[in-house]
Amino acid sequence: MSSMTAPPETDIVARAVDATKIYGAGETEVTALDHVTVEFPAGRFTAIMGPSGSGKSTLMHCLAGLDSLTAGRVLLGEVELGSLSDKQLTVLRRERIGFVFQSFNLVPTLTALENITLPMDLAGRKPDAGWLDSVIKTVGLGDRLKHRPSELSGGQQQRVAVARALASRPQVIFADEPTGNLDSRAGAEILEFMARAVADLGQTIVMVTHDPVAAGYADTALFLADGQIVDTMADPTPEKVLDRLKGLGG
Amino acid sequence: MLRVTLKNFWGHKRRLVGTSLAVILGIAFLSGTLVLSDTMRHSFATLFTQTTQGTDAVVRSSTKIQARGDNVRPPIDESLLAKVRAVPGVQKAIPRIQGLGQIVGRDGKTLGGNGPPTFAGNWLGDKDLDSYHLVAGRAPAADEEVVIDKRSADQGHLAVGSTTQVLTPEPVKVRVVGIAKFASLDNQGGVTFAGFTFHGAQKHVLKRTGKISEILVKGAGGIAQPDLVRRIHAALPTSTETITGKQLNQELQDNVGKAFLNAFTTFLTVFAGISLVVATFSIYNTFSILVAQRSRESALLRAVGASRAQILGSTLAETLAVGLISSLLGFLGGLGVATGLRALFSSFGAQLPGSGLTLKPSVLITSIVVGLLVTVVAGFFPALRAARIPPIAALRDIAIDRSASSRVRLVLGSVLTGAGLVLVITAVIGKGGSYLLQRVGLGAFLLLVGVIVLGPVMAKPAASVLGAPIARLRGITGRLARQNALRNPKRTAGTAAALMVGVAVVTLFTVFASSIKASVNHSVDRTFGGDLVVGPNTRFGPSQGISPKIAAEVSRLPQVSAAVGIGGGLAHVVDKDVFVSVADPLATSRVLNLDVRQGDLARLQPTGMAISKKLADDRSWTVGTKLPVTFPDGAKVTQTVQVIYKSADLAGDYMLPLQAWAPHAPQATDFAVLINLKKGVSIDAARPAVERISNRYPGTKVQDRKQFTDSFAQGINQTLILIYVMLALAVIIALMGIANTLSLSVYERTREIGLLRAVGETRRQTRSMVRWEAILIAVFGTVGGLGLGTFLGWSLVTANSNSSNGLTTFAAPVGGLAGILIVGGLVGVLAAIRPARRAAKLDILRAVAAE
Repeated sequence: MSSMTAPPETDIVARAVDATKIYGAGETEVTALDHVTVEFPAGRFTAIMGPSGSGKSTLMHCLAGLDSLTAGRVLLGEVELGSLSDKQLTVLRRERIGFVFQSFNLVPTLTALENITLPMDLAGRKPDAGWLDSVIKTVGLGDRLKHRPSELSGGQQQRVAVARALASRPQVIFADEPTGNLDSRAGAEILEFMARAVADLGQTIVMVTHDPVAAGYADTALFLADGQIVDTMADPTPEKVLDRLKGLGG
Repeated sequence: MLRVTLKNFWGHKRRLVGTSLAVILGIAFLSGTLVLSDTMRHSFATLFTQTTQGTDAVVRSSTKIQARGDNVRPPIDESLLAKVRAVPGVQKAIPRIQGLGQIVGRDGKTLGGNGPPTFAGNWLGDKDLDSYHLVAGRAPAADEEVVIDKRSADQGHLAVGSTTQVLTPEPVKVRVVGIAKFASLDNQGGVTFAGFTFHGAQKHVLKRTGKISEILVKGAGGIAQPDLVRRIHAALPTSTETITGKQLNQELQDNVGKAFLNAFTTFLTVFAGISLVVATFSIYNTFSILVAQRSRESALLRAVGASRAQILGSTLAETLAVGLISSLLGFLGGLGVATGLRALFSSFGAQLPGSGLTLKPSVLITSIVVGLLVTVVAGFFPALRAARIPPIAALRDIAIDRSASSRVRLVLGSVLTGAGLVLVITAVIGKGGSYLLQRVGLGAFLLLVGVIVLGPVMAKPAASVLGAPIARLRGITGRLARQNALRNPKRTAGTAAALMVGVAVVTLFTVFASSIKASVNHSVDRTFGGDLVVGPNTRFGPSQGISPKIAAEVSRLPQVSAAVGIGGGLAHVVDKDVFVSVADPLATSRVLNLDVRQGDLARLQPTGMAISKKLADDRSWTVGTKLPVTFPDGAKVTQTVQVIYKSADLAGDYMLPLQAWAPHAPQATDFAVLINLKKGVSIDAARPAVERISNRYPGTKVQDRKQFTDSFAQGINQTLILIYVMLALAVIIALMGIANTLSLSVYERTREIGLLRAVGETRRQTRSMVRWEAILIAVFGTVGGLGLGTFLGWSLVTANSNSSNGLTTFAAPVGGLAGILIVGGLVGVLAAIRPARRAAKLDILRAVAAE
């Protein structure tokens, strides 16, 4: 199964073609991705769902150039990641990709603001002041910008992480369980904010999660099991997602 | 608990390697020094036992003048020989003449003279009483025939039949008729030897007939050495003394021990000590970090029921294991160090009997005790900290280190530093007083401890200031590096402290050396306004001196207005054995400006004497004071103080007229001939004429005034290089300490580095980040060391200039200090290589996923 048709009017930001990832060899061989072909359209909020061990994190890591495939291709826009050197991948990550991890998103020695501008600073690029202002305003961190991560709550830290991902206007933001470490209220705040970034700012977000509530904020949900895409769901709701997951045995 | 300890030890073995290396190197240095000095002591014992083998008694003058680590004995009458031979129980008695004489090689260069003495005397050729034996040629039969030692023959490309010169110090034309070995060696531990006939030696070396240096006696079978000595002594006048061969052996060993081995061992041990101090800091730091990184684990152990004592014991056991293993490895390394140094000595010509090393169990014990002490002392406080971790810490994130900014630390550190500064400054400024050096020493120690206590408090502002330009120039990488150096001030300070200690010592020596150079320049400039100098061309200073005839010859040149040969030797003045300068008064008055306060140097009588103002003040001697003087030949004469001078830089405290000295010191030499040219004669015009004279005296060279002062500087620079080499080890240990700390930090920051890489930090930027952090730490330590070393250098120089004449000028060489700063920065760069590469190679995914 495995192919997903994007709405014809949108561009494809990222895609995997026949992507296969095998860890280990022989007896201990584990197939994390099994010939996955998938496309992520621009301006959409896609949730990748699946039970643990389904390969959802591996898929995201490969799409983001953090991990490499055993076989198949991953493309960001028209660039095939497999052909890039470490240096080119690094530059690609900081120029065209934004990241939000589950935890430890921020460099503890830098202030919130410095963390937000980090990818641009690494690139030696001046951030667009107007855009930065509006991102910071949307995230609602105005008065905490000079604080170190250790002085921020978990929710605030994740908001800084999202602001960092947005600040460099990447083609796509990959979020790996962004609410995994938060209570439900702080989690909801982050998810709302991400959804708004997609709706209002036209940002593309790909989020890995196992939480049906989180998936409910997405435009589309993909379901992975045993390294293969088993289903696609438009306009998911927590209930629908939960049902589907139960069907997958997750 | 033991199992936990062992597992810990094994689990962290890679991280412990860095720590161990510091101890291993320090202990290797220490044990190498000890083994080498034992080996050399043993070698010298063997050497002198060979030298005195077969000699049952020695008769010599009972007068001995001893100063500056050197001693002389007057010769005795040849007529005593018959008296000795008449003593019952004496089987054989032969006269020995021993003095100085440098052999000139085929290329016209003098041989030896860079440490061990250059002897000339009579060829004994007695198989019982002489350890030299011919391996080629024959014994000398005429006054100008000599036997020389094999090494001199080899080095100087001389063979039986060669003609050459022996400088005694006048060049004596000789023919080599025999080549001798000393027991099984090519020479006597580096000593060069030229053996004349008995008559030749009296003529050329002793320059007296009817005199000899000593009598060597072999007793008849069955008579004990002490009995023989008693019998001989009874038959001789009290102006002589008789000792047993055994006593002579002991005396020779003691002399070498005092003059060379003790100083040598102390010298090396001091540097081994510095290395170990630096190592202590490195170990302390590593264990602190390991304890911090393991705090969760320790807390978990506490939570499941381990007692504080068990945690303390476990951590201490780990330090003990590191200490023990490293000490053993260090000891083994020390054997290598000793072998290497020994080979180095042999290559310099100081061949000693015996091969292999002398191993005493005490060295092994010392190595292990010191190694254990260093590691346990360094590991104790971190272990205590590990034991204090509460069980609850298992559930918390690792606490942030707050101790750096503690008020207690600030107050204690400031008090210690202040007390040290006050002690040193008052001692130095206060014109000496009692216990001067002790006060300076105590002050320096307090200062060092104070600065180390203050380190973590200083680390934050210092890294902030030093890091500012890096942050500005290197952008985010620089900023991250600065923040990383700032985030754990205690760690930064501890790491930097190791380098600081090393750099402080380097700086101290650099400042001290440049002050000596400046003082020499100063005093030469002040006292000698002349143009040219003839001096010895040995690299290690005047070991023998040059012939006094040179001064006389140069004086007669038409281009020269005046030339004075400055010489000197040991004499007994009133109640002390002292070094006296010797020069022709009239010539001195025309060439040197001694700043004469009383009397007229030009008119100093042969029965007169000149002394420094300081000496005159100290002893309340004035013009007219009569001073009884014993000369090296044993003559007792009264000299009257006629001149008092202020400038003692070149002349020292005592100065005798050449006319008084020469008759009593047949082998008198000059250290240098200082020359004033006539008005209108250029140096270039006069130099060839002086050089023509110099060329006839092997082992001399002509220098202008600048070259003359530079040659002092060269000697000092050579010593300084040797000291730098010794200190390099301490710096290397500090370097490894920085590398180790950084590796641990990188390990600790795995996730953070992974995150940085994920959001776009290139490998190059990652490396640069770690590198700049290392440079910051290194420069922080270097700047501290520069400050501390310069201050201590200043205080030492100032203290010295108050108490003696040698050091007058403090000079901090800007270039040299800047060089040290650059080297400090380079240490950072080198230390960062491995940790930076590791950081850059971190697998991003694993780093992000790491717990």
